[in-house]
Amino acid sequence: MQKKTWELKDVIMMAILGVVFSAVYMAVFQGGLAISTALTPLGLSSFGFEIIYGVWFMAATLAAYIIRKPGVALITEVLASAIELLMGNSGGLTVVLTGFIQGAGAEVVFALFRYRKWNLGTMSLAGIVSAVFIFCYELYYLNYIALAPGLLIGQLAVRFVSAFVFSGLICKLAGDGLAKTGVVKSYAIGAKADIGKVYDEEE
Amino acid sequence: MRSLNPACKFIGLLAATFVLASRRDPVWNLAAFVLSMAAILLARVRVRTLLLLLLPVALAALGMFFTGYRFAADGSMPVRADIFLVGGSRLWNGMLQASRVLAYAGLGYAFALTTDRIRMVRSFQRQFHVPQVFAYGLLAAWGVFPHMAQEFRRTRAAFRARGIRVLPFSPALLAPLLVKSVRWSEELSVAMESKGFSGKAVRSDFAPIRVQARDWAFLVVCCLALPAAAIWL
Repeated sequence: MQKKTWELKDVIMMAILGVVFSAVYMAVFQGGLAISTALTPLGLSSFGFEIIYGVWFMAATLAAYIIRKPGVALITEVLASAIELLMGNSGGLTVVLTGFIQGAGAEVVFALFRYRKWNLGTMSLAGIVSAVFIFCYELYYLNYIALAPGLLIGQLAVRFVSAFVFSGLICKLAGDGLAKTGVVKSYAIGAKADIGKVYDEEE
Repeated sequence: MRSLNPACKFIGLLAATFVLASRRDPVWNLAAFVLSMAAILLARVRVRTLLLLLLPVALAALGMFFTGYRFAADGSMPVRADIFLVGGSRLWNGMLQASRVLAYAGLGYAFALTTDRIRMVRSFQRQFHVPQVFAYGLLAAWGVFPHMAQEFRRTRAAFRARGIRVLPFSPALLAPLLVKSVRWSEELSVAMESKGFSGKAVRSDFAPIRVQARDWAFLVVCCLALPAAAIWL
C-alpha cells in the first residue's frame, strides 16, 4: 500500500500536468472553435465543443491514474484551470469553478471505488460523471436551460462519447505508456509496471 | 484595474459574472462587455492584442446566436419556459446566448490582461489562504512552461530533420513531451526540497500583498451594489 499523504513531488507533478493540459486545452479550444464555426449555419455550433469536451477531463483522470491518492483528480483539475486563467482564456473567470466541478466529478468516482480500482472502466466513468456534473452547472450558467431539450440530450450524448475516448481510452494508454518508459517508477502506477531497459538522459 | 488586489479583483468579477448569469439579459451582457473593454483599454493593453483575442470570441458568439435562435426551449421543458425566456422571441434568445459569450469573455480578459501572474498567485496564497505548497507548485510549474514550448519545437525539428512529417498534435510529438514533463517535475521537486521549499515551514514575504481601501470599494460595488441593481432594476 502506498502512502496516502501528499509529498511536494506529487504537488509538482500535478501542477506540471496542469500546465501540459492547459496548453492542450488552449490548442483544442481553437480546434473546437473551427468545428463550431463550420456548424454555425446549422445552429449546431455548440456541438463543435461537445465533440472534444472529454479533453477537459484528461488532466484529472491521468494525474489520478499516475499518483493514485485521494484528492489528486480534484486538485489537478483546479490547478490546470488556474493555469488556464493565468494564460488568459475566453471562457471567463469561472474557469476555476468549472475546473473544480469537473474535478469533483472524477474524484467522486475514484472515491466510490476507494482509490483501489484503476482501469479503463473507472477512468471512463470518472470522465462521464465529470461530464454530468459540468452539464448541470451549464444548464444554469450558460443559460442552456433556454435551449430545446432535444438539442441538450444530443449534446450530452456526444459529450459522453468524448469523455470515454479522451479521459478513458487515451488517458489509460498515455498512463500505461508512461509506466513502460520507467519515468514514473516512483509513483503508484509505476510500482507494478513491467519496465524494460530504462534509458537515462545522460547515457 | 492594474493596481487592484488580484484576489479582490477575482472575487468581484466572479460575482459580476454570476449576476449576469442570473439576470439573463442581453442588454446587461452587452453593457458588461463594453465596460470590460473600456477597463482593458484604460489599462493600456495594446489594441492589436485585444482584437486578436476577441476574434475567436466573436466567432463563438455568432455560433451561439444561431444555436439560441434555432433551438429555443419550448413548451416541452420540465419548467415553465417564460421564467427563463425574458422576451420569448427567438431573436432575443439568440441575442441572449451570443451576448453572454461576449460578456463572460470580456470579464475574463479584463482580469487576465490586467493582472500580473506572479502577483496573482501570491495574492491568492495570502488572501485565500491557499497552502503555500500549492502556490509554490503553481509558480514552479508556470516557470517550466517556456521549456515545454521549446521542447515541443525541438522534437518537431528532430522529426523534420529525419524527413518524417508529423501533425502538430500527433502522439509522436506529445509522448516525449509527457515523459520530459514527468522528469522535470521530479527534478524540480528535488531542487525545491534541497532549497528548503518543503511547504511546512512558515515563510515571510519581502513585499506582502495587502487589501486596500480601493479593493474594498471594488468588492462592495461588484458583490453588493451590482446584485442589488440586478434585482431592483
